Amino acid sequence: MSIYGNAVKKPITTTMVFIAVIIFGLYSLTRLPVDLYPEIEFPAVTVFTTYPGASASDIEINITEPIEDALNTIDDLKEVRSVSRDNLSIVTLEFEYETDLTEATNNVRDGLSLVSDALPDEAEDPTIFKFNSSMFPIMMFAVTADESYEGIEKMLEEKIVNPLNRINGIASISVIGAPIREVAVEFDPRRLEAYNLTIEQIGAILASENVNMPLGNIEMGELDYPFRVEGEFSGSEHLSNVVLGNFNGQVIYLNDVATIRDSIREMSMDEKINGKDGVRIMVMKQSGANTVTVARDLNERMAELKGNLPHDVEIQTIFDSSEFIKGSISNLSQTLLFALIFVVLVVLFFLGRWRATFIVVLTIPISLIVAFIYLSITGNSINIISLSALSIAIGMVVDDAIVVLENITKHIERGSSPREAAIYATNEVWLAVVVTTLTVVAVFFPMTMISGMTGIMFRQLGWIVTITVTSSTLAAISLTPMLSSKMLRLRTRTKEPGRWSYDRTIKVMLDKFDAWYERTLAWSLYHKKVILFAALGIFLLSGVMSKQLATEFMPQSDESRFSVSVELQSGTRVDKSIEIARKIDSVLNTKYPEIKIIATSAGADDQGGFMSMFQSTGSNIINYNIRLLDVEDRERDIWSIAEDIRQDLSKIPEITIYNVRMGNSGMAGNNVDVEIYGYDLQTTTRIARQVADSIRSIEDAREVSVSREDEKPELRMELDREKLAMNGLNTATVSQALYNRVEGMIATKYREKGEEYDVVLRFKEEFRNSISDIENIVVQNRLGNNVKIKELGVIKEYYSPPNIERKRRERVVTVSATPYETSLGELAESIKTKVANVDMPREVMVEIGGAYEDQQEGFMDIAMLLVLSLLLVYIVMASQFESLKMPLIIMFSIPFAFSGVIFALLITNTTLSVIAALGAVMLVGIVVKNAIVLVDYINLMRERGYELDEAITLSGKSRLRPVLMTAMTTILGMLPLALSTGEGSEIWSPMGISVIGGLVASTLITMVIVPVVYKLFAIRGERNKDQKIRAKYAFLNK
Amino acid sequence: MKSIFIVYNQAHTEKVAYMLDHFGVRGYTQWNGVAGRGSESGNPHLGTHTWPEQNQALLAVVNDDKVDEILETVKKIDEINTEVGIRAFVWNIEQVV
Repeated sequence: MSIYGNAVKKPITTTMVFIAVIIFGLYSLTRLPVDLYPEIEFPAVTVFTTYPGASASDIEINITEPIEDALNTIDDLKEVRSVSRDNLSIVTLEFEYETDLTEATNNVRDGLSLVSDALPDEAEDPTIFKFNSSMFPIMMFAVTADESYEGIEKMLEEKIVNPLNRINGIASISVIGAPIREVAVEFDPRRLEAYNLTIEQIGAILASENVNMPLGNIEMGELDYPFRVEGEFSGSEHLSNVVLGNFNGQVIYLNDVATIRDSIREMSMDEKINGKDGVRIMVMKQSGANTVTVARDLNERMAELKGNLPHDVEIQTIFDSSEFIKGSISNLSQTLLFALIFVVLVVLFFLGRWRATFIVVLTIPISLIVAFIYLSITGNSINIISLSALSIAIGMVVDDAIVVLENITKHIERGSSPREAAIYATNEVWLAVVVTTLTVVAVFFPMTMISGMTGIMFRQLGWIVTITVTSSTLAAISLTPMLSSKMLRLRTRTKEPGRWSYDRTIKVMLDKFDAWYERTLAWSLYHKKVILFAALGIFLLSGVMSKQLATEFMPQSDESRFSVSVELQSGTRVDKSIEIARKIDSVLNTKYPEIKIIATSAGADDQGGFMSMFQSTGSNIINYNIRLLDVEDRERDIWSIAEDIRQDLSKIPEITIYNVRMGNSGMAGNNVDVEIYGYDLQTTTRIARQVADSIRSIEDAREVSVSREDEKPELRMELDREKLAMNGLNTATVSQALYNRVEGMIATKYREKGEEYDVVLRFKEEFRNSISDIENIVVQNRLGNNVKIKELGVIKEYYSPPNIERKRRERVVTVSATPYETSLGELAESIKTKVANVDMPREVMVEIGGAYEDQQEGFMDIAMLLVLSLLLVYIVMASQFESLKMPLIIMFSIPFAFSGVIFALLITNTTLSVIAALGAVMLVGIVVKNAIVLVDYINLMRERGYELDEAITLSGKSRLRPVLMTAMTTILGMLPLALSTGEGSEIWSPMGISVIGGLVASTLITMVIVPVVYKLFAIRGERNKDQKIRAKYAFLNK
Repeated sequence: MKSIFIVYNQAHTEKVAYMLDHFGVRGYTQWNGVAGRGSESGNPHLGTHTWPEQNQALLAVVNDDKVDEILETVKKIDEINTEVGIRAFVWNIEQVV
């Protein structure tokens, strides 16, 4: 017995099966994590090698090149990049998406073992570092304090960081910019000289005074006493009374030659939050942990912990990446709800019956819920892609149920009992329903097979639509007949329907519309040429207009946060940088009411080594993290605010380079890179500067930057070996002495309450801040004679060589730029023309890359996808109609769908991104479905013996409503998606816009063009067929 | 003894079954899913894509007195909606084993 027969005969079983599906689906839903995108691991492995004392070019030759050569042939390797800096080589291997990184890492290890003998002995062993998206902080807090500022690190460590670290899924929490306590002993060199003391001697004295030591046991009488000395300083003030020696019979104390300061370490980094002293807390999650869950747990715990802090300590969130995710997802869920309402209304409008509408609409939740089961089983999450897939599916899942229900209603109205009608009417249409579903699957299934990053994004979409549509078909041929048999009944025709009843309002309107369409169609069939030329005109027009279409990779979204990095003249002191930072702070505070939090950090923190992987720091660099008000609460968008800030920054003369970058939790950047390959550093640097300058002259280019760092000024002590020898000194002694006086000597540790603090000895600031100060530093030789540094050599100013970057084993400099108020594609075009005008030496090669390259790859993938879908759709249709011609007729509607996409994007001023292009691909399936319905019916009428024209007009009239209905459900299902504003909407609305545009255009045109083309193709074919049959059986006619 | 051959649209299956029970007709032979078309009007019922509807055929041998009642009921069923279609034909039974 057939599936529908069984379903109707066993209503309870059927109901139970579907209830089971619903329960399982809802259970899956509660367990699904929420995320922004499907899980994507950036497949890269980095190899770090340190070679102390080597310059950038030494590193390049001795370390980077051998490693690159050894690793170049690893499986699945996409690209090798490297940076060689002083002392350090970083080789980054980028693999194809979905490479097994564990295996790749093993291969890298094998490759390195081959090369390790070739590396210099002094170089340390290379370390392999797997890059991971979880290395990016998911949350950042700003902590400000007044009185408690000095001890803030310890307090945060105890009361916040340690308890928070226990939360599941947190990898690390670090406090940035906290003041560190130290006991500084600062000397006046003149006094030291007067008493003939050196820092090294005093260091040794302090170290030997600050000692606790066990002295053994003393047995006295019957007792055994442990014996010990307690010499450690019990308070930092005790340091000042340490005796250093005798001078002319007088005792010298430490405070005679030095000032002792127990306070915060002299900082090379300045952290301010909204202008107040503060620190930042950065939270990173473990790989694989869910951002939203971690953030929720953390915020809950944080709220409890805040109570333990003193009142002047305030904790604010600078950014919380879970907020954008939650905002987007709830936004999209709302969209989905609106889509559901719209679809219900459309179905009700066309069917005009509550019970029928209920039966049809019930397939929506059921098929959507099946998608949740799929997501849960495959370990996916609820994210933008899966939700927009549901949005797309929502309009399509009702189609099958509508077809089945219509036929059942027809049978009931002809007098069958609902039960009989349900079985036999379904029997008549089930095959057609399955085939139309197949065409949709033919479009969406190939999406599950694209590779690359686009593939990861759209695989889920492909699966979800395939699965929901398939399950809707199953529901349509089991649940729908079952419910129809129970719920539908023959309507007794009331003789006088009410004035405002369905029959006298909407039905009349629809009937009139049917009649109008019939006349239009008849006219078109007689004016084939006019129609064909008009259609061709529209298509060509859209082709011409497509040139106007701006392109980009991924739509950029307003996430209410951005970072600014400001560079001052290379080598600027921290104090000066801080001064400028305050100036910028005040500008930001007064001119931008949209700004909620500003976290400023100026200078470099030598302890923040890990952070320096993500942002460059230096005494001349000021970094800002800025959080804006939520999108709904401000008028200007993030791009215009950023643009104004750029204007303001350009007015401050001390600033040499400034960059305003959007925080983007998505993976897609929005930059065009000009890669300049060439061996000679000077030539390529010069060309890079020229290119950068010419790009700056493009009006819409922003954030133009050159990847090769500026040469930094540095002071070098050049010692004269002869003079050293004469004075009985060597380089090591002198260097150590200079280090102790300038940077400071850690003589001993001061202990208090279980914590250790450095006791640092160095010269007072004013005795070490000029070249002459340094020249006058005195070094003692082994004979006890004092020698001034200027007698040992000279101090010279140098420019240190830049970092050397390589890509595909060649030296490269990258000049990158981001578009403003223009598209990525256009910017890339104008950059290309600019670059072509720069005079290039022959050995230099230039390529355009960056997000623009990703965009090109993405579009290529989508073009492939389109070809694949078209072929599959053709195959499915050709076998359905058992004809090679029919699919062609039907596919005539596809070009007009693309015209519609182009018009819609142009009208709404939307760029053609990968997302919008994907919408266009999906149209193939949706549009074809409409044409199939029409052509199939014309064929039917022809076979039932109607004349060609009559068959066409009759079918047109009869299929108008079903076609309009399926088109309207899809269009209105996508409408909320296209219209939504608010967090994250920029990402998905292009898809809605392109689907709606394409579908509106193609529906209007399909209803006219397809019949006309059908007529053109059919006239000859059908006549021939008739003649053939007659010829075959000619003998019977005699 | 007469035989009654009833050909009807599948959609009438339940009504026909009820009719036979109602008149106490116990024996019959039934063919499911047969194709056919009417001599004068109505759509063919061929079970194809073009003409998807299908018929059932049923042959029952009954006593002479039941024939009229059955034919009358068939007429009633037909009158519900003539588009659906049901027809009955009656023969004499010569011999029975």
